[in-house]
Amino acid sequence: MSASFTSLIYTYIGFPLLAIVVLNLIGKKHMEKFCAPIGCAVGVVQAVTSVITMLLLLQYNKAAVNFSQFWDMSVSTEAAYFSVDAISAIVLFCIGMVTAASFLTAAGMREEKMFNYTNVMLILVLGMSGIALVTDLFSLYVFLEITGIASFVLIALHRDIIGLEGSFKYLVMSAVASAFILAGLSFIYMETGSLRYDAVAEMLAGNTAAEPMLIWLAFLFLIAGFSIKSGIVPFHGWLPDAYQSAPAPVSVVLGGIVTKMAGVYAIIRIMSDFLLGTYSVINLAFMLLGLLSIVMGALAAIAQGDFKRILAYSSISQIGYIVLGASTGSMIGLIGAVLHFFNHATFKTTLFVNSAAVERQTGTTEIERLGGLQKQMPVTGVSSVLAFLSTAGIPPLAGFWSKLLIIIAAWQAGGPLIAGIALVASILTAAYFLRLQRKVFFGPVEEHLSTVKEARGGIAVSAVALSAVTVVVGLLFPVLLQILQAQGLL
Amino acid sequence: MNETILLICLAFIVIAAIACAMFRSMLKCAVSLAVVSALLACVLYLMGATWAALFELSVCAGLVTVVFASAISLTSTSRHQPENEEEHRKRVAGLPFILIATGMMLMVVIAATGFHIEPQANAALVGLSFKDVLWNMRQADVLGQIIVILAGAFAVAILFKESDKA
Amino acid sequence: MNTLTMAMLVTAFLLIVTGLFMLVRTNNLIRIIIAVEIVMKAITLLLILAGYINGSELLPQAFIVTVIVIEVVVAVVAAGIAIRIYRHNGDLDIRKLNRLNG
Repeated sequence: MSASFTSLIYTYIGFPLLAIVVLNLIGKKHMEKFCAPIGCAVGVVQAVTSVITMLLLLQYNKAAVNFSQFWDMSVSTEAAYFSVDAISAIVLFCIGMVTAASFLTAAGMREEKMFNYTNVMLILVLGMSGIALVTDLFSLYVFLEITGIASFVLIALHRDIIGLEGSFKYLVMSAVASAFILAGLSFIYMETGSLRYDAVAEMLAGNTAAEPMLIWLAFLFLIAGFSIKSGIVPFHGWLPDAYQSAPAPVSVVLGGIVTKMAGVYAIIRIMSDFLLGTYSVINLAFMLLGLLSIVMGALAAIAQGDFKRILAYSSISQIGYIVLGASTGSMIGLIGAVLHFFNHATFKTTLFVNSAAVERQTGTTEIERLGGLQKQMPVTGVSSVLAFLSTAGIPPLAGFWSKLLIIIAAWQAGGPLIAGIALVASILTAAYFLRLQRKVFFGPVEEHLSTVKEARGGIAVSAVALSAVTVVVGLLFPVLLQILQAQGLL
Repeated sequence: MNETILLICLAFIVIAAIACAMFRSMLKCAVSLAVVSALLACVLYLMGATWAALFELSVCAGLVTVVFASAISLTSTSRHQPENEEEHRKRVAGLPFILIATGMMLMVVIAATGFHIEPQANAALVGLSFKDVLWNMRQADVLGQIIVILAGAFAVAILFKESDKA
Repeated sequence: MNTLTMAMLVTAFLLIVTGLFMLVRTNNLIRIIIAVEIVMKAITLLLILAGYINGSELLPQAFIVTVIVIEVVVAVVAAGIAIRIYRHNGDLDIRKLNRLNG
């Protein structure tokens, strides 16, 4: 493995840090107009680096690359280090993509607090990349908190009362969730004396727990904590408020990636790295929580009257699919979950970018006050249709394939009933999105909207680019599945 | 001997926490939290975690209390009529009973399941100092701490700055 | 049975219950933050207990120091948001936070 490869990986942490330092050394006065390009560049570099990482991993045929940060860490094998494997590379690509989309949206919205927004966004990127890179449960907690703190500040960025309210609710729920996660970690630590993924996996696989109660207790707390963080029903109360109250570019990144990194990614990690064996009831618990989220999220989405709120409940429902896939414990389910993670990042970001475009051009996101925007805003309308078809799992778009894998895995693991419920809930997805499309884009033009124009600049660019990703990935999916099959993974 | 002091500290921690939950005056509430922190620092010290004890005492019992005290004084001229004594007492009266119930439930569970955890010797970290562990083994966390502090600085700059408009 | 480990475990659980009770039974934003802090004290206790059981305080000590740093930043951000809400609403009552409904 070449040295350039290892140094390449440092860009994940180094580049955002460098951007923060440069921005603040030169100062707000001179840098304000460069904020959006710098932010986009950070996102794009992240995405490109992750693609290169992926290709190199394939070429050298390695499962993961480890690296440390500052200085010698060979004092003890207990050292916490960073590592990139296939799942992290995919997730890092999503982070880069959504970050770029969010900055484009902010530039298109002429966000007036651009400098502050950029600084905190870069911290958020660092936090999320950290979550993807760590190999130790405690470091995972540290980066979860960074992600959390950055999101609270971003939601409250404009200091309007709505944002402050959403932010405070998120903060309290997230703090409680973090406390639960830490409690779970200390119970695991009592058993293993280490929080590294491999040490914990070894203990769970070998079933060498001296006091099995501790493991049950630990997972009880971990399930509660991660469910709150990912907004799974019945722990979802804060999520729609946070999404709705955030400024538009912030809800793009919140809905696109943040809650998935903060909660679902950890669940995927636990399910992929730890073979639960004797504790497989935990799989079942996550499966049922996932199913509950799918159904309740979709039902609640049908009843909402706000564009962003519908998207928030839709996120709860789609996160349910990811959790369901990951918790089946099979390779198909896991691949389905990771791919759905990627797809959801793409299409939910598209939809939030569309809601930002609608909000900017019409000044509202209440669907009752919108209508017939398809003619005036063709780019937004078409990309929204594509994204929703993908969400609903209509072939040949990307969402269809990942949902298919998840439902097959759910059938194998939990029988036809669970798979059937997941399938039927797909139809509910179509129902709430049809309602959204009909109210916002189709039908006669509302009189007060007759002068509305298409949003230009960054918003349109990111909507088009994200739609292209949805379509292209969808068309390439059969090829991808063949590659996976050739690797013996399916 | 140490163990007796530790047990006494633990008992007082619970008492101070209950007081914190029951006090109507916010300032008393914040001070009780500081007492919990200080007692916790004693526990950490007696268990041999001297660095953690130092942090707990100076940062949690000190800095956090200052933050809460200033937040309370900044928001003390509340238009909202604070709830009366009676109402507050009714609201928190359940706590001792819940705690007694929790304690008894824990005892029953521990007795019924034969739950036990015993301290054991550890050879893995012998000969290392706290410095080695924090700076060499936990680099990811140190990096995380730096980023958290950065985030805190931006948060303070954004939230506390008196606004130019509105 | 080791009295000390059990006593610490029970204390930690009682603190968690106290904190959560305070969290749900109050309408005051700053009290809510203090309640979260109490839960975090329980976590510190659990971490040091974990170290005691494993025979080495070094690693949990590093954990606790990190947790304390994070805890302070979260408390400061939360207090900042609470003060901002106070500036808007004129009080700290959580029941006044009802602008987001659906």
